[in-house]
Amino acid sequence: MRGKIPNMDQLLQHILNALILGGTYALLGIGLTLIFGIMRVVNFAHGELYAFGAYMMYLWVMVLGANFYLALPLAVLLGVMLGAAMELVLLRRLRGADIDTTMLVMIGAWITLQNVEQMTWSGVAKSINTPFPSSPLVLGSVSLSWNRLFVFVVALALIGATYAVINRTKLGKAMRATFQDRDTAALMGVDINWIHTATFALGSGLAAAAGALLGPVFVVVPTMGDLASLKAFAIVILGGLGSIPGATIGGFILAFMEELGAGYVSSGYRDAMGFLLIIVILLVKPTGLFAQKERIG
Amino acid sequence: MLKIEGLVCRYGKVAAVRELSMEVAQGELVSLIGANGAGKTTTLKAISGVLPPVAGRITFLGEDITRAAPKRILQLGIAHCPEGRRVFPHMSVLENLEMGSYLRADRADITTDMQNLFERFPILHSRRHQAAGTLSGGEQQMLAISRALMSRPKLVLFDEPSLGLAPNLVERTFEIIKGIRAQGVTVVMVEQNAFAALELSDRSYVLDQGRVTMTGTGSELLNNPHVKAAYLGA
Repeated sequence: MRGKIPNMDQLLQHILNALILGGTYALLGIGLTLIFGIMRVVNFAHGELYAFGAYMMYLWVMVLGANFYLALPLAVLLGVMLGAAMELVLLRRLRGADIDTTMLVMIGAWITLQNVEQMTWSGVAKSINTPFPSSPLVLGSVSLSWNRLFVFVVALALIGATYAVINRTKLGKAMRATFQDRDTAALMGVDINWIHTATFALGSGLAAAAGALLGPVFVVVPTMGDLASLKAFAIVILGGLGSIPGATIGGFILAFMEELGAGYVSSGYRDAMGFLLIIVILLVKPTGLFAQKERIG
Repeated sequence: MLKIEGLVCRYGKVAAVRELSMEVAQGELVSLIGANGAGKTTTLKAISGVLPPVAGRITFLGEDITRAAPKRILQLGIAHCPEGRRVFPHMSVLENLEMGSYLRADRADITTDMQNLFERFPILHSRRHQAAGTLSGGEQQMLAISRALMSRPKLVLFDEPSLGLAPNLVERTFEIIKGIRAQGVTVVMVEQNAFAALELSDRSYVLDQGRVTMTGTGSELLNNPHVKAAYLGA
């Protein structure tokens, strides 16, 4: 059992692990922030997009024998396309519908996607081979696998790219305008339908990216999306519902909490630690950590 | 320039505009006045395409825009400055103005237009990186007007531009609207402040329960005993 005797090296190792895990949690959280925090679609299928990304990675690398580095963008692209399809087929009809109706439909989508995964790939856990050396990178007293380092770098790059899209591009500005005031955005000439599809697709793509990155680190199972959904919701709420920096930091906080909790308290309570923290934070600050303020009138 | 014939608009089963007809010539400043629920805002929404009408016909510069998308109508040159200012609260002043020029691709001209607006409203320049939601009501109104102008419109629809503003700012807002018209932009304005609206405009339509009940020049209506009694409180 690790973590019973705290020392500096061990702490460093935990911090390193948390940083790496946090990158993918942030991706998952930013994706859901776009969909739930900004579009207000209670997307229970978010974790299924995560699982979908992992399975697509398995499909390309292990079944079709594609190059690992090529498979990754392909898996993300397929996630974007699945997200766009879900928006076009399910959500477009539900625009303006009751939030409960949308929620039920998304629960349906979640169950459907998970069962399709189970049917297609069976319930047996799959692992994905990576091109990385199996011996870890050793830095002084800490070590980390090349695969995890790769995951971290790609996650950070994707987070940075998402920020740039949202803040700098015309599409990103139109997205923000649309979800702050749909009618006024339409008056500016924004095609509201296109923005809804693009936003849902982008959020889905980020979930798929998180799955495609973590699939090779862990194993791929049909139920892997369940916990991912829960964690994504926790991160979004923690970050203040709709704040992308909030979701980024929320992702890292959750990862730190899990990693340190598993290391110093009990690894059996790993997943519980994060949710415990969220309960505490929401008790103290019910709007989340980074809720936006505005002046009315 | 703008012609509306037999316009009917409904919210669900409730008719807000019934058989409304009006016309606006190039370069005019036309106001719509009337009580709450007379159908003024609804008429503007029908013109800009956010509320597709049930019946009737709207033409702009000879083109039928009755059920056209808001995007198409904006491209033809109609900008709509909505009631309550409706700036994007979490976007900066600069980004709000950029949204105003969303359909334009002429980057250099956009920058020039923005510079001109900043010269006209220096306060917007000094607050350009601030979130629009943190501006005061008067500043938000200036931003909303500037944003509408960023599309280089031929016709601007103003919905209750003076609503919720301090008296000195109301005056200022009307001066700005006059200035816009002076630059050759046609203006259609909905205004609760009937006295100010009639003073400002070339012509006015008085709306009641979704119909035009009276029309005339500003001064004609100002001296009309019925208008005086019903809308000017005299």
